[in-house]
Amino acid sequence: MTRILRPLLVLAALLVPPAAQAETTLNVYISSALRPEVMRQAFDQFEKANPGIKVVPQLGGATSDLQAQYLNTVLSAKDSSLDVLMLDIIRPAQFAATGWTLPLNKDVGNPTAFLKQYLPAYADADTVDGKLVVLPAFADAMFLYYRKDLLDKYHLPVPTTWSQLASEAKTIQAGENDAQLQGLSFQGAPIEGTVCTFLLPYWSMGKNLVHNGHLTFDHAAAVKSFDLWLGLMKQGVAPRNAAEIVTDQTRKDFEAGKAVFAVEWAYGWSLFQSADSAVKGKVAVTDLPAVDGGKPVTCIGGWQWGVSAFSKHPAESVKLVKFLSSVPVSTLLAEKASLLPVFPPLYHDAALDQAMPWLPQALPVVEQAKSRPVTPYYNDVSNVIRTQTNAVLAGSETPEQAADQMEARLRRVLR
Amino acid sequence: MKPLSPTALRRIAALAVIINGLFPLFWIFLTSLKTEAELTRVPITWFPHAPTLANYLRAFHDQPLALYLFNSLAVALLSTALTLFIATLAAYALARLNIGYRDLALAAIIAVSTFPLVTLLVPLFQTMRALGLLNSYGALVLPYTVLSLPVCTLVLVSFFQTIPLDLENAAMIDGCSRVGALLRIVVPLSAPGVFTAGLLAFVNSWDEFLLALSFNSATRWRTLPVGIMLYQGEFAFPWPEISAALVVGIVPVAVLIVLFQQRVISGLTAGGVKG
Amino acid sequence: MTNNTTRQAGLGNARPAARRSNPASWARSLLDASDANLARVLLAPAFLLLLLIVVYPVCRLFWTSLLDLRLSSGMPARFAGIDNYTSVFTDPEFWTALTNTLLITLITVPAALLVGLALALIANLPFRVRWPVRLSLLIPWAMPLAFVGMIGGWFFQSDYGVVNDLLRHFRSTRIIWFNSGWLSFIAICLTITWKTCSFVALVLLAGLQTIPQELYEAASVDGAGPLRRFCFVTLPLLRPAIAVAAIFRMITSLQTFDIPLTMTRGGPGTSTVTLAMYIHQNTVDFLDLGYGAALAVVLFFISMGVTTLYLRQVRTEL
Repeated sequence: MTRILRPLLVLAALLVPPAAQAETTLNVYISSALRPEVMRQAFDQFEKANPGIKVVPQLGGATSDLQAQYLNTVLSAKDSSLDVLMLDIIRPAQFAATGWTLPLNKDVGNPTAFLKQYLPAYADADTVDGKLVVLPAFADAMFLYYRKDLLDKYHLPVPTTWSQLASEAKTIQAGENDAQLQGLSFQGAPIEGTVCTFLLPYWSMGKNLVHNGHLTFDHAAAVKSFDLWLGLMKQGVAPRNAAEIVTDQTRKDFEAGKAVFAVEWAYGWSLFQSADSAVKGKVAVTDLPAVDGGKPVTCIGGWQWGVSAFSKHPAESVKLVKFLSSVPVSTLLAEKASLLPVFPPLYHDAALDQAMPWLPQALPVVEQAKSRPVTPYYNDVSNVIRTQTNAVLAGSETPEQAADQMEARLRRVLR
Repeated sequence: MKPLSPTALRRIAALAVIINGLFPLFWIFLTSLKTEAELTRVPITWFPHAPTLANYLRAFHDQPLALYLFNSLAVALLSTALTLFIATLAAYALARLNIGYRDLALAAIIAVSTFPLVTLLVPLFQTMRALGLLNSYGALVLPYTVLSLPVCTLVLVSFFQTIPLDLENAAMIDGCSRVGALLRIVVPLSAPGVFTAGLLAFVNSWDEFLLALSFNSATRWRTLPVGIMLYQGEFAFPWPEISAALVVGIVPVAVLIVLFQQRVISGLTAGGVKG
Repeated sequence: MTNNTTRQAGLGNARPAARRSNPASWARSLLDASDANLARVLLAPAFLLLLLIVVYPVCRLFWTSLLDLRLSSGMPARFAGIDNYTSVFTDPEFWTALTNTLLITLITVPAALLVGLALALIANLPFRVRWPVRLSLLIPWAMPLAFVGMIGGWFFQSDYGVVNDLLRHFRSTRIIWFNSGWLSFIAICLTITWKTCSFVALVLLAGLQTIPQELYEAASVDGAGPLRRFCFVTLPLLRPAIAVAAIFRMITSLQTFDIPLTMTRGGPGTSTVTLAMYIHQNTVDFLDLGYGAALAVVLFFISMGVTTLYLRQVRTEL
């Protein structure tokens, strides 16, 4: 019934001339850090194509966590001040469960077919319990950045396993004789990125943490995952203060030429190639190593567009979301803001070659990226994983203790 | 070795206080003159190798810092005024008036402050939304007043109690009402207490971050601490730029302090109190 | 205190009841009315504001603590009685957070009082130019709390922090502060003490101003040196101010939130999580509103308990 009703209403609205030419204002919540000036260009294009709709960006907190907290506060009060939301990829499951985003199934025809145009990881993450809750905005993933000049100097191939990376790093560190040169920089502070730190080896062993909302914890694999990182630290490849390292610290250190390898998100690339960078022209990127006998895998990131369930203008908001999640906007974001596209064909687009020459190298990495556990209780799960990993890296818990605790806490959360 | 003279001891003590209080700010100031690249050097540098004002320019360019300053100032001044008004009345009642429930009232006021505003975030947000106050000065002035009310009331109570009763009695015999006595005798004589309470209320309000983040999210109404947080990127943390913004944020408060510290700390020397 | 006797000496009640018919004198007569009525008028604004901002949300919070309300479950609220409270007391993370909060209180309250007292005494000394010392006294108070935490985190950072840079001259291996629960704790307490001692100093300085100079003069005439003057003149007369500073330091200390959050994010692991942080996390991150409310109520009762105990000790001061 609703299938016919909606288009009928829209038709009726179109036929009946509006009494007053009232302008609809759509409030879009985006991060202040994700190039709002480029987003503005996309909004301008939409406004031109849709006279009568004004798009007003509401700039939110600087980090994913701060934004989530703000949205949690506002939406639990069922506030209708926001129409369109930009959400981190880890949020859709929670927003679907709390009912804060409108399902978009009816607006895209056949969801499964519609999602085929995007990178596979997003098709998974954006559909929760059969409901399509968000559409992809731009992509992100964790890459292995490396100093190709140093690898060339010591005639070393690009490592494909962690143990290979460790031995190559040690060779280079010994050869360079620089006390400050780290073999590998990765994140261990109690931040969201550290969840990926734990999951990378765990996934590489072929294990999953959460399946269909249920815990599938492999204790031995968890211990091995912790052991991998501790091993790298013990061998001197990774620094002793890994538990302090946040995402941007890795970037700053690698950019200053203080690390041979770095596990970092996509944003690092354009900064490493900037004029101030000490490693300009010496950086290359590849997918993350696998554990011995495992398969290579990386962590997906990226942001999505959703429509607030409390919006007073749902139809226009859906229109805006579909526009923002289209090929032209994805191209714009890639070109002007160096944000990875969500459409696989764009990675070989000649027009983007100038702005983002590394796109062809990035595609295979992004295509095999995995989503972090999809569960409405993700914030809880994330907190457990990040704090336990941090404790192990800081040396205040052994891998066994941490795995025990992680299991116990995750069982309580995902009861 | 000769024992140090009292003057020398005083100077050393003063130096210790100055270093303790100003060192972090001094460090932040030095950082605001450095470039990001310089911050990744180990061992760290203290004085910038190539001092630059670019961070200040960037700070003002990237965000409307002056607007945030103005908002913070407005909210702080309004809530300070409101706090002082309400606290003075309440403190007088508790210090002077003969009421049976005095201890209970005092305990209730203190009890209220034992509930951290952090925990009331969600219900307060709903209250402010219901009142239509979100994204306005009112959304912050009211909670900040409540935040400072207990400590200001208590400070004023203990100040009022040091004023001898004779003065008010003398005024009232001359035909002054109680409230008149409050305004004309008690408050002026408690000037240090009033200024102390005012400073406490001002800084409590200037400081606050969490409520300001949630209630006044629109750029037009944003306050300084929230604004400074926004210099962060999703991953990036530009210390030099944030340091510049911090310095800009502290300067007005520092100026206010220097101007008012004399009032806060004026002694009760000559006149008025001799019996 | 001496107020009561003087008041009862007739003045308080000897006012003529002036009831004329115009509003101005009605207002005046209201103000001239008995102590009880005047008290109600004077206390009304305070209590009205508290009712709106605190009491109403707190009542909602008490009610929510009796519900099973996890927004992420998508299920409506269900009455759960004391289930949340049983969960609280069987939650190891709660006990860690409680221990941390109490330890922080036990350490930073006396520390801030001592340092604040020293600062206030120094600021009270006769200097020719007074404002530098007073400014230094108050600047820590003026720096936004969240940033003091971030700056503290940076100062104690193992590679780029000032603290390690200074220690470099004394030991060869650098200390990684945030790898150890105890060292992180010390760093946090130092930062909190630094920030809050200026609040204490401000209150005590104001208190020092109320001590009449004649008392010091009389004491030195009697042959008392600086130490005896301090113990027998300054300290006793400063007790009300110390009581005020102590109560509020204690209350805010039990609510410590910003500094550990921005310095260590509760790490390593969860060893520096405080109760207020845990409440905020459960309410705003995990959307477990019922559980977060129960934790908040528990914190409230703990604060009330501590404050009542302390008030009993110092009731004569106030």
